[in-house]
Amino acid sequence: MQAVVLRGNQDGYQLVLDQAASFKEIKEKLRELLDNLAADSNATNQISFDVLSNQRLLTAEQNQQLEQIFSEFDHFQIHKVIPDVITIEDAIHLKEQDNVHLATQTIRNGQTLEMKGDVLYLGLINEGGRLLTTGNIYVMGTVLGILQAGYPSGEDKVVIGDLQHAQQIRIGEQISIVETDQPSKGSQTVAYVNDLHVLEYGQLSDLKTINPKIYHRMGG
Amino acid sequence: MGKSIVITSGKGGVGKTTSSANIGTALALMGKRVCLVDLDIGLRNLDVVLGLDNRIIFDIVDVVEGRAKLAQALIKDKRFDDLLYLLPAAQNTDKTALTEDQAKAIVDELKKEFDYVLIDCPAGIEQGFLNAIAGADAAIIVTTPEISAVRDADRVVGLLEKNPLKEESHLIINRIRGHMMADGEAMDVDEITHHLGVPLLGIVLDDDEVIATSNRGEPIVLESENPAGRGYRDIARRLEGETVPLMKIQQPKTSFWSKISHWFSRG
Repeated sequence: MQAVVLRGNQDGYQLVLDQAASFKEIKEKLRELLDNLAADSNATNQISFDVLSNQRLLTAEQNQQLEQIFSEFDHFQIHKVIPDVITIEDAIHLKEQDNVHLATQTIRNGQTLEMKGDVLYLGLINEGGRLLTTGNIYVMGTVLGILQAGYPSGEDKVVIGDLQHAQQIRIGEQISIVETDQPSKGSQTVAYVNDLHVLEYGQLSDLKTINPKIYHRMGG
Repeated sequence: MGKSIVITSGKGGVGKTTSSANIGTALALMGKRVCLVDLDIGLRNLDVVLGLDNRIIFDIVDVVEGRAKLAQALIKDKRFDDLLYLLPAAQNTDKTALTEDQAKAIVDELKKEFDYVLIDCPAGIEQGFLNAIAGADAAIIVTTPEISAVRDADRVVGLLEKNPLKEESHLIINRIRGHMMADGEAMDVDEITHHLGVPLLGIVLDDDEVIATSNRGEPIVLESENPAGRGYRDIARRLEGETVPLMKIQQPKTSFWSKISHWFSRG
């Protein structure tokens, strides 16, 4: 296999980098290929390439070097670099985002429990305690403190459960003072951020209209 | 080897010092050798409550800085032959005069000599609190049936859970007013215990005599008939491993007839 192969399909042009070739070789071949291409075509339009790097993760520096080569040609540019692999760190991150985590510990006045992804909370949050996560929060325990979903800015997240005794519900950057906003009683309250970026309360039965994405993910 | 117990609350004014003095005295009455350590440096008053303030020559900071031996700084309470001692706090400096290691070293030293070392913790959760829990094997958390005191107690329980002591913490609910709990005006005992999730060691009723006796420098446990004194004696017995049922919160019952006779007696 050549170090760099040009392919075309209905989505546009792709440059496939051979994962066995050295990066130096790839750079040479790439320049050669683009040279030929520039000579052949007399296109005036911009052409964007997807660069497929297979099982090779390009470093930021290598990315820059590729950009450098493309910048030598007027009409060519990189659309994006698509590898087939991700780092372990990213993989763990993805896994965390996708799982529902169980939390049962008591969160007391002055304590903050920080988590990632969705959380099913079964414990007790006392006044002044705070549960904070990047994903959704599903509550079955007793909450007298603060719940914060979608930290720091995910306004598409929801908080579901008995919320009437909490101090505050926060989603992304929106904050609701429970005493003022008076969510409905019962354990099926859904807190969400509406189209006007206001935190609002609804019922679990309306989740399909409130947030179809989550509804489908929960298997509804 | 004795056991060290810190008496703490977070909030000020809930009765840490009164509780320290009374539990210590009650244990001494049971024949235990007890040393009370006042760590409220700069604002000491355990000595006053015990009526020993006029006997202070050296204090804990003198011991730490080598101006006195530990034995020299200990004040013997003459009412309990050789059973109750006090290590007073310094008054002319502040909480930062002591480090956690120094506080722990002193408590460890005292544990060799005494059955119980009771550490009176200052209010707050700063250096003074850290010093007080450094040498403690267990904690007694004092609260009152007020939201503010319970909130602060919750905070302290959280801090203690993060740096666990050797033994589980216990709770004392102080200044209980029977009629307010009965009316639902104050949180009741079960509610507070459940909220904090800490096992209850005992309850102490609010009583004017507590203030009166402490002003005379005599702990309330010395009054055999007083309900608050009984509360502290029960706590001491539970610390010793006895099973003592929780005392009933009695409220003065005002019947219809007694109310009427009250009107007449006024006139």
